Amino acid sequence: MKTAPFKTRVLTANRLSDGVSVWLGASGEWVLSIRDAFLARHDEAVSAIEAAGAQALADNRVVDVNVIEVEETPTGPRPYRLRERIRAEGPSIDYAPVASARVSQAA
Amino acid sequence: MYRYDEFDHAFVAQRVSQFSDQVARRLKGEISEDAFKPLRLMNGVYLQLHAYMLRVAVPYGTLNSRQMHKLAHIARTYDRGYGHFTTRQNIQYNWPALKDMPAILEELAEVEMHAIQTSGNCIRNVTADHFAGAAADEVADPRPYAEILRQWSSVHPEFSFLPRKFKIAVTASERDRAAIQVHDIGLQLKKDGEGRLGFAVWIGGGQGRTPILAKKVNDFLPEADLLSYVTAIMRVYNLHGRRDNKYKARIKILVHETGVEKLSAEIEAEWMHLKDGELTLPEADIAAINAYFAPPALGARAEGWGELAAWKKSDPDFASWVGRNVAPHRHPDYGMVTISLKPIGGIPGDASADQMDAVARLAVEFGHDEIRVTHEQNLVLPHVALADLEPLYRALVAEGLATANAGLITDIIACPGLDYCALANARSIPVAQEISKRFGDAARQAEIGDLKIKISGCINACGHHHVGHIGILGVEKKGAELYQISLGGSGDENASIGQITGRGFEPDQVTDAIETIVDTYLALRTGAEETFIACYRRIGADPFKAALYGGEAQAA
Amino acid sequence: MTVIWTKNGIVDNDPWTADGAEQGPKLLPLSEALEHAQDNAPFGVVLQPADDVATLAPILGRVAIIALTFPAFGDGRGFSQAALIRQRLGYEGELRAVGAVLLDQIPLMLRTGFDSFEVSHAPTIERLKQNRLPGIDLHYQPSVDRTEAGQGYSWRRAAIVNG
Repeated sequence: MKTAPFKTRVLTANRLSDGVSVWLGASGEWVLSIRDAFLARHDEAVSAIEAAGAQALADNRVVDVNVIEVEETPTGPRPYRLRERIRAEGPSIDYAPVASARVSQAA
Repeated sequence: MYRYDEFDHAFVAQRVSQFSDQVARRLKGEISEDAFKPLRLMNGVYLQLHAYMLRVAVPYGTLNSRQMHKLAHIARTYDRGYGHFTTRQNIQYNWPALKDMPAILEELAEVEMHAIQTSGNCIRNVTADHFAGAAADEVADPRPYAEILRQWSSVHPEFSFLPRKFKIAVTASERDRAAIQVHDIGLQLKKDGEGRLGFAVWIGGGQGRTPILAKKVNDFLPEADLLSYVTAIMRVYNLHGRRDNKYKARIKILVHETGVEKLSAEIEAEWMHLKDGELTLPEADIAAINAYFAPPALGARAEGWGELAAWKKSDPDFASWVGRNVAPHRHPDYGMVTISLKPIGGIPGDASADQMDAVARLAVEFGHDEIRVTHEQNLVLPHVALADLEPLYRALVAEGLATANAGLITDIIACPGLDYCALANARSIPVAQEISKRFGDAARQAEIGDLKIKISGCINACGHHHVGHIGILGVEKKGAELYQISLGGSGDENASIGQITGRGFEPDQVTDAIETIVDTYLALRTGAEETFIACYRRIGADPFKAALYGGEAQAA
Repeated sequence: MTVIWTKNGIVDNDPWTADGAEQGPKLLPLSEALEHAQDNAPFGVVLQPADDVATLAPILGRVAIIALTFPAFGDGRGFSQAALIRQRLGYEGELRAVGAVLLDQIPLMLRTGFDSFEVSHAPTIERLKQNRLPGIDLHYQPSVDRTEAGQGYSWRRAAIVNG
C-alpha cells in the first residue's frame, strides 16, 4: 500500500488566560503568529510537539491543543483547513471597522 | 421592568464571587479544563477560535438605557468596541480575556445584569415576545412569568447538570413572535372561559441535528401551577433523557422515542406529587411581579397622526421606514419601533459601542427608557409616540441604524459561523453579507415582501435555518464550505421545518441560488399579496427545485 | 487518596468505603440489596443513575446507608434521585454521593439531600478540610435542604446559618 506523502504539522492551542490563539515555537515557547511556529517535518518531530502540547495542557498554560497539517509556502505555513486559516488570520470579515482600527493603532 | 431587590443583588454578588473563585482555581490549575468547562459555560463563557466569548443574559430581551450604556462600556473597555445580539435575545462579546471575566461580571451586576445560565446543560435564559407589554394582541404581559421562571431556574440544585441545554420561551398572543414550537418548553399565556390566566404547554421542540416541532402536553395549566408543572417536566427529563449521545440528549428525542402520550402521563404522574405543594404560586406574588411590568404612562399624543402623514408625504425614505419598521402599538397614538441591526452588507446583529450608546439615549428621549432585543437580532423601542417618529428616525439615520428592512429579505438571521465559532463548519456572516448586498435595493426588497432568510454555520442551527422561509446550512465537505438550502420553514404559530432542496452550493453560488428561488417565487405568486411562504405552501418545492437544478432535481 | 466528608468534617474509619475491608458491612448493588433484605447483617445499597429509586421503598427501613453514583461530574441524575429518596420516600438515613464528586457540585448535592461524600479529587479535599465550600446561601427555589423563607416571594429560600 502506498503511504500518503508526509504533511508538515504545527501545534496550536489557545492560551488559558486570555484564550488567544497560539502556536508552539521552535524553542518551546508559545507564539502569537503561525509564521513563527515550529514546523514538524517528520514523525519524531510530530511526537515531540504532541508531547509538548500534552505537557502544556497538563500545566494549565493552554487549552484546546491540536496538531494541524500545514502547507509550507513562501509566506509561511498555511493550514489546509479553513478553520485553522481563520484561527491564524482572524475573522475573514471586516468586523466593527471603526473600533478595530482604533485597537490596531493602539497596539 | 423588573428591578432587583436586596435578595437579587446579594445573590448575583455571591454568584460573581463564586465564579471568580472558580476562575482563580482554574488559573492556578486546581480545576482541569474538562471540569471547568461546564462551570464556565454555566456562566456564559465559551472558548471560541480566537478568544473566549462571553454571553450576557438579557432576560426576555428587556433592557433599560442604563443597562445598554453598560453593555457599550464593556464593549469598549474589555472587548474590541462592539457586541453581537443573538437569537436568544442575549448579547455576546467575542474577545474578552478569562482573567477579566470577574471584573466584567461585577460591572454587569451594577446594572442588575449577569451571565448566569446563558450556556451549559441547564435551564437557559428564558425568552419572550419582544413586543410584550406593547402589542395589541396579547392577553397579558408574558414577561412576569418569564421573570418567575428566571428566578426559579437560577442555580437550581436539581437541574444544573441536565442531559443537555434547556430552553423555555413564553408568548401571550395567538401570533407567535417567540417561536415557542421550537423550544424545549413553549408556553402560551391564555385565558380560559372564565377569564382566568393559564398556559398552553408545549414540550419537545428544537432545532439542531434533528429538528422537531413541539407537542402540546397541556391545553390549560393554571398560572399558579407553573413552577410545579415545569419541575415535573424537568425531573422526568433529568432522570430519563438520553445521556449516551449528545445529539440525542435534548428532550425532543425523549418525547419522540417515548411517545408524547406516555411521556405526558409520566409528567402528569410526577406533577400529582408536586401539585399544590410549596411551588404553588400565590396570587400576591404573581401580582407583585406583574407590578414591575406595569406599562409606562403613555399620554395622548394625537397630534402625531397628522404630522406622520405629512412627514411621510414629504420623505419617501421615512415613509418606507415607518411602513417596515413601525408596528401598531396597543395605544393608537404610539408605535413599536424596530431598530434594524441589519445594515445592507453588514454583520447581522452586530452593534458598535457608539450605536449601543445612541440607542440608549434615544430610548430615554423617545421611548420611555425601554429597549428590547429580538430573537431576529434586532432592537426594539416598544413605546414611541407617532409624533416622535420623525426626530427618532433622523437620529437613527445619523447612527446608521435606520435600515428600513424589518421582515424583508435582507433582515437575515445569521450565527457567528466559522469566523468566530469553534463548533462551526462554515462561515455564515459573509454569506449573509453577500445576499444582503445583492438584494439591498429598497424597491427590489419591497417588491419581494416578507421573506425570512436564516443562516447557520453548522448543524447546531444557532442561525435557526430550519425555520427560515429560506434556510441556509453551512457544512464542510472535503475540506471546503458547502451550503445546503432548505425551503418552507417557519417559526411562528404555523411553525414548520424547512425541506432541503437538493445538493449543496459552493460559497460563490449561494447568492445566485437565492436569486433563482426569489425569481421563481416572483414569477409564480398570485400577486404581491401572496407572501413567499404562502406561495411555497401553495405550489410546493418542485418548481423551486426545477429552477435550481433543472433535470437533475430527481437525482438530488 | 479517597476520603469521606460530611458537614462535621472528614470521617475517620468509615465502614462503607466501596473497596472496604472484607469483614466490614457491605454496600450492595440494588438487585442484591433487594435479595438480602431479610438478612440480619447491616447493609447499604449503592445505586446507579439509571436505577429507579422507587424500588427501594420496601427495604428502606433495613438499609443503613444509600450511596448514589455519579459516573461523571456532568451526569446529574443523582440530584433528582436524591430529591426523590428524601422527599418522596421519606428516607432520613445517610445519603452519600460517590464517583465523580467535585467541589463545585457539593453545594448542590447538599441542597438535594446528600449528607456524605466520597471524594478523591485532591484540590477538593483540600478545600473541604478548610471548610470553604463555594456555595451561594440565597436560593431562588425550595429543595430538600432545611432553609428559611427568602425575602420577597414564596419560591425563595435562605440557608440557615450553622444549620
